[in-house]
Amino acid sequence: MRWPSFIFPFGAWFFLALIPLLILYFLKLKRPRHTISSLVLWQAVIDDQRVNSPFQKFRRNLLLLLQLILLCLVILALMQPFMSAGPESGEYVPVLIDCSASMASTVDGSDQTRLDVAKERASQLFGSQQVALFSFAATGRRLTEFTRDDHQLKNALEKLQPTDLQGRLDDVLRVVAAYSRSYPIEQAIVFTDGNVADTIDFELPFGLDVRKVDPGGPNVGITEMNARRTGAEEWDVFLRVAGSTDDLQEAEVTLFQDGQPVAKDMAEVALDESERFVFPISTGDPTLLKAELTAVESDALAADNVAWLSLPKARNLRVRVTPELFSWRHGIQVLPHIDLDDSLDSERSTYDLIVSDSEDLQGSEAPVNVFIGVIPPALQGLVGVEEGFADVVDWNRTAPILRHVQLREVQIGQQIVFAEDIADGDLEERGYEVLVSGARGPLLLQKREGLKVSFYFLFHTDQSTLPYRVAFPVLVSNAVDNALRNASLSEVKSAPTGVLPPLNVEPDREYTVRSPQGDEVQLTSTATGLLTGAPAGMVGRYDILEDGEVVQSVGTGLLSPQETSLTVVDELKFTELNVATGEAEATMLDSEQPLWWLLALGAFVFLLLEWWYFARARGATA
Amino acid sequence: MSTGTKQLTTLFDNSVLNRVERMRLSPRRRLTNRSRGEHLAGKGGSSTDFADYRDYVAGDDIRNVDWNIFARLQRPYVKQFLHEEELHLTLLVDASTSMVFDDKLHKAKQLAAAFGIMGLLNVERVSVFVGHQVPDQSSMLPPGTGRPRVRQLLDFLEKTEGGGAVPIEDAIDTMLRFHRGRGIVVILSDFLTFTDLSKSLNMLFSSGLEIWGLQILGASEINPDVHGDLRFVDSETGGTLDITNADELLNIYHAQRKALQEVLDSQCRRRNGRFLSIDASEPPELILFDRLCRHGWVQR
Repeated sequence: MRWPSFIFPFGAWFFLALIPLLILYFLKLKRPRHTISSLVLWQAVIDDQRVNSPFQKFRRNLLLLLQLILLCLVILALMQPFMSAGPESGEYVPVLIDCSASMASTVDGSDQTRLDVAKERASQLFGSQQVALFSFAATGRRLTEFTRDDHQLKNALEKLQPTDLQGRLDDVLRVVAAYSRSYPIEQAIVFTDGNVADTIDFELPFGLDVRKVDPGGPNVGITEMNARRTGAEEWDVFLRVAGSTDDLQEAEVTLFQDGQPVAKDMAEVALDESERFVFPISTGDPTLLKAELTAVESDALAADNVAWLSLPKARNLRVRVTPELFSWRHGIQVLPHIDLDDSLDSERSTYDLIVSDSEDLQGSEAPVNVFIGVIPPALQGLVGVEEGFADVVDWNRTAPILRHVQLREVQIGQQIVFAEDIADGDLEERGYEVLVSGARGPLLLQKREGLKVSFYFLFHTDQSTLPYRVAFPVLVSNAVDNALRNASLSEVKSAPTGVLPPLNVEPDREYTVRSPQGDEVQLTSTATGLLTGAPAGMVGRYDILEDGEVVQSVGTGLLSPQETSLTVVDELKFTELNVATGEAEATMLDSEQPLWWLLALGAFVFLLLEWWYFARARGATA
Repeated sequence: MSTGTKQLTTLFDNSVLNRVERMRLSPRRRLTNRSRGEHLAGKGGSSTDFADYRDYVAGDDIRNVDWNIFARLQRPYVKQFLHEEELHLTLLVDASTSMVFDDKLHKAKQLAAAFGIMGLLNVERVSVFVGHQVPDQSSMLPPGTGRPRVRQLLDFLEKTEGGGAVPIEDAIDTMLRFHRGRGIVVILSDFLTFTDLSKSLNMLFSSGLEIWGLQILGASEINPDVHGDLRFVDSETGGTLDITNADELLNIYHAQRKALQEVLDSQCRRRNGRFLSIDASEPPELILFDRLCRHGWVQR
């Protein structure tokens, strides 16, 4: 059985007004005393009437009863009850509130954000059941335990602020699912704008009631920002601006280089008509670019109006190739912007790319390594080299290093074989991904260690026909591109909010990451000189400080076409079922039916009844 | 009253008194005492009323031999006459507070006086018992006979005042503690008591008394004029009863009043008695010379 909930439960204090009513009634009710000879006959009359009319006892105080009912109905109406058709009947109700960037957009025609609306509606669920608050954006977060404490819940709700992150439901649902093992959760309520990923890889162990808040107003925003190196010190900066409405919206795009505006343009965008801008930039030094968007008319979401991009210092790619690998050296040295080191005794210890036929790099290191004819020490005993010929059976065509590489009909003068009872899975368990497979064993492996990636050609390319194939220069170019991207020398992408991209700093040092709001986080760089895991929930510029000095700056932007479009999904696709997301108004009508008007009508009827009864009694006395 | 002669009693007019003196009680049964009176007993006696003949036996008073019969038949026959015995009339007057309402007590005293005069002038033993709680006032007139007793009877009744909470069953119990002899008990009361009177009436009946119940109700009891929400206060006990919309309950009230009268009538009849309910506002002449005569209570 469903019980009504109250929007204004504190109105129950007005029930104390019943006490003075009762006191006044009993003070006022003074019946005229009438002395008679004996009560014998009248007592018999009353006894007889009580037998024949069991409600006489109530009728004696009918006026009081009517007044009490009238007052109760008025107070109940004041408490604004509503009958929920939703899951509020469950004792434990997790309430999930979307805090993604799109929830910060204002409701059309008001200054209220959609998160404010969601918080207001969520607060109406408090009091009648055990509620636990969860927030979600890119990840889920528990705000409170299950409680009936209105004060605690409202405090948690009050502190909830929108983030500049994309909305995802799966993470928070997993958190709630963990709670469902401890609490009998029948259904969870989600307050969202519907701007979430519609496909969720999650098996729902409970029901989901998705309540969408009002749609946001028109919005324009930057959804993409990156740069491509076009010359030694030349960059093309790409910007994509998108809108949220079917009608064209105008906005001014301004690009700032180290705080100075360097380019400006006007954008006209709509929901399905984004506009791409290209701004050429010349700089050889590290530069922080900032793109800013100013809508000509209203703009519902501010977080997507700014994007940041860090351009590294322009330099050539540093490549070390073992002198014996002629084919690789020839393939690389013809490529532009390359500093090739093919000396026998190299002193340089840091490269962007190393191509070697030995596992021993003699102290040198690079984020991208290509080993030729090397079996990783970890795989010794799992794969071996035998005499014979091998063919390429299959290869991973989507691997960056093998993109557009045709390996069919490549002849290999070595036979790479698995040891007995060894298969691809055993290699994968050790962190090696098979990119090229031969008939009896793997031919090319890839291993990732953080940002570092190593490619192992288990056969020697000089003992194959590969260097004589068209695929070889493509393969070499792919390896170089891989190194260029890794060193951010060819293409740079703006960092989205969430976590800052790994930053190259001095190894094993303490750094402080200062957010745009001034919050500071202490982090230690890795032994390889990477600073990772810095949280970046808000759009803006993050400064990396060492001993109080800014050593590096990086900016983040929302850069989410989904958030900028403010579009809503009508159905969430789960592993086993789909959950419809109700329209804002329809959902509210179905789930919360106000009852105050029924009570007010009842009070009016009782008022009429009381008036009739009172007038009738007075008429009879007269 | 308009004759200018002195009134013998304040209870009623001399003319009524004169008419009452010529009336006599008409009991259903011969409940008499052994002492001689004017009520004829069923057995033989020495009255002038002839009863029967029987054969003479040795020892009979020869004055009772019918000599005319002896002359014709040459056999002695003894002439028998009815025996005349005395009847004990007890007047039980309810003088509790409830009887003060609507002149019910006055009416009870009038009727008690009338019954008493009828008894005394017909050589019956008459006693009066009053159920009340009035300080310094006697509640009993001892049994007495003869015309001289009339004055005492009238004085006693005239001085009787009402008051106190004495239920009629208590009054009957008290009366029976002092009463001796068979006869008639006339109960003049409103019979408004919470207790069932069966036990009290049984005790009266077993004491050899023919029960004549005379219920006297006032106008406020026969046709109560009440409206709206009231708090009734019992005049005797001070108890209260809240009534809502009293006018709506009048039908039930009348039904209850009639039911009470039927119960009392039934209880009296089952004990060879009589019951009659009268309105206190009715004139005594109408009650005495019309209603009581028509119901066979008295003879003119």
